[in-house]
Amino acid sequence: MGGLADFLDSLVGGVDRVFFSVAIGGLIWGMFMLKPWSRRYDEKHLSSTVTLIYYGAFGLALTQGFALIIKVWLMNVTLGVWPFPAFADTIQFKAGMVRMIVMGCLAFYVGSKLSLQPTSKNAWYNATALAIPALIAGAWLAHGAGRFDGRIQLMTITVIHQIAAAAWVGGVFQLINIWRLSTRNAIDPMLWPNFLKQFGKLGLVSLAVLMATGLPMAIGYIDSWNGFIGTGYGNLLLVKLLLLAIALFLAYLNNRGTREFFEQNRETLLFREIPSYIQAETFLLVSILFTAVSLATQPPAIDIPKTTATWQETLATFKPRIPLTTSPTHEELMAGEPGRTAIIGQVPSRASTEWSDYNHNVAGIFVTTIAVLAIIASLRPPPSHRGPYWPLGFAFLGLFLFIRSDPEAWPLGPIGFWESTLESGEILQHRIATFMAFMMGVMEYKARHPNNSNKKLIYMFPLLGAFGGLMLLTHSHVGFQPKTAFLIQAGHTLMGVFAIIIASARWLEIRLNDPKQRQIAGLISAFAMLQLGMILLFYQEPLY
Amino acid sequence: MIKHYFQLLFVILSLNASTVSAHAVVTNTSLKIDPIKAGTESKVSLTFNSRVELALSHFDLVKKNDVHERLHVNRGKIRGEVVIDIPPLEPGEHAIRLKVFAADGHLTEDIIRFFVIE
Repeated sequence: MGGLADFLDSLVGGVDRVFFSVAIGGLIWGMFMLKPWSRRYDEKHLSSTVTLIYYGAFGLALTQGFALIIKVWLMNVTLGVWPFPAFADTIQFKAGMVRMIVMGCLAFYVGSKLSLQPTSKNAWYNATALAIPALIAGAWLAHGAGRFDGRIQLMTITVIHQIAAAAWVGGVFQLINIWRLSTRNAIDPMLWPNFLKQFGKLGLVSLAVLMATGLPMAIGYIDSWNGFIGTGYGNLLLVKLLLLAIALFLAYLNNRGTREFFEQNRETLLFREIPSYIQAETFLLVSILFTAVSLATQPPAIDIPKTTATWQETLATFKPRIPLTTSPTHEELMAGEPGRTAIIGQVPSRASTEWSDYNHNVAGIFVTTIAVLAIIASLRPPPSHRGPYWPLGFAFLGLFLFIRSDPEAWPLGPIGFWESTLESGEILQHRIATFMAFMMGVMEYKARHPNNSNKKLIYMFPLLGAFGGLMLLTHSHVGFQPKTAFLIQAGHTLMGVFAIIIASARWLEIRLNDPKQRQIAGLISAFAMLQLGMILLFYQEPLY
Repeated sequence: MIKHYFQLLFVILSLNASTVSAHAVVTNTSLKIDPIKAGTESKVSLTFNSRVELALSHFDLVKKNDVHERLHVNRGKIRGEVVIDIPPLEPGEHAIRLKVFAADGHLTEDIIRFFVIE
């Protein structure tokens, strides 16, 4: 069951950050945006805001507790011993317990006091004060806590960085909540533009703080350009910046639409397009939170100068070449495995590298073809009696990868399906990814068919695509030397970025009203798919 | 009042500062300058980028045919240093396989290969 523990350990951190943002961002929203004690308020909106904070705090308490349980489980299976009482003496356990208990208390307070007196200034101040220990406890779980130099400064900066991120992400969740209430006619419709306008200022402050705190951390943990390009830490930071840039573009569109509404009384963007932009922005922000967690699992670049890849080595992994379309036989592969996996007398296996290259390159042929067909279908829609066929390509891709991804396990290898799936985090991730690709293909095909009666089915492609992107961003290959692991990771993280773009753009294609904008969003999604396909097409694994 | 509250919280949490470490990787090893000679007991020093929780860490010697043997370790004199007791070994390739727990919750696995000389 070690694989399951490993996989859950990598996911639970991202979920933790989302709940953290909902709770802490919600409190910031209440304290600085709503201020219900000093101005007119909408009762339903206020009540809904408090409920969201309650769910955030409660969810965070549960997730933190779950994270501790998984950690114990993971240590038990990895070290082969019961980790207590030694684990109880670690800062990880103590800070985790403090965070869990404090967030539990916050949830209780919000549910029993703030929800009954949502206009009480004291209640809001008390709730905020209650959250402070959880924020400080978080400092002891960050990278900075372990540094020998500048530890307190780095810890403090990390906490401020986390609060700024929570203000932005939590604020976006609050905006979605206001839109949800608006569409149900539960609140005054003018609340939507008013809070959008106010949020512009909060967003700018959050961004400024994120930059002001992120820069010293980047300088503290990365000491060279190679460290930025050629380590897992630098690579994931680059991914964060890329996703942030796209999120900022959407934030700019929101801001522009809001200004047009107030200055020119143009309602179109505000009530038709901006809600969709904000939903797509949420995809990106949640992905940034998951990337941040993945970043925290990497050793800082400054600590691994001898195993850092050069930028030339990193770029070489994306160099175009003729895709490998012939594979070694399963027997040839298995013959090389004992030598490749041995610790003493290790012999790199050419067959293993070629097996993996073949899998990735053929997957690239699948995805590139699907992307080209999607682009054609976007420019020349299929006849009205049928939908496009390209989604079925994902179903075939899922089947191909299911058979080929893990040759040591069923159906090709001697290790059983359940044994391999539950014991190896990597195999478990492969199984989930291949199943998702299959389901994505089938559901998208059905969703795009004119006879489809289930209108919600169309959202499965972007949702599963975003989840797949998050998996790629937290994908790990264990058992390698750090440089080899990084060179493999670099391609997977970039594919994760494109998967998030595919999902966000597809979401916009579904949600936007203007046919021209929908087509543009669809093309962005298809071109991102093409880029992802190209990475796979030219993928080349280092010999190990 | 609130200021004092924050100060008190930080002091309470700061009491644990000495037990803290982060994602641990080996940044230096004595094997580079002091190779192990066959047939003699020796000590190997590994320096981590941060402190590791020794009670939750394993250090195994890996011999021919990947036979594992648990090693005894102590904290070294400099920060981040771990000193490992190595039993007498035969000449040839060996490795130290480590699974270390950093207090920020990350389990790190690594293999350090070395040659025992005559």
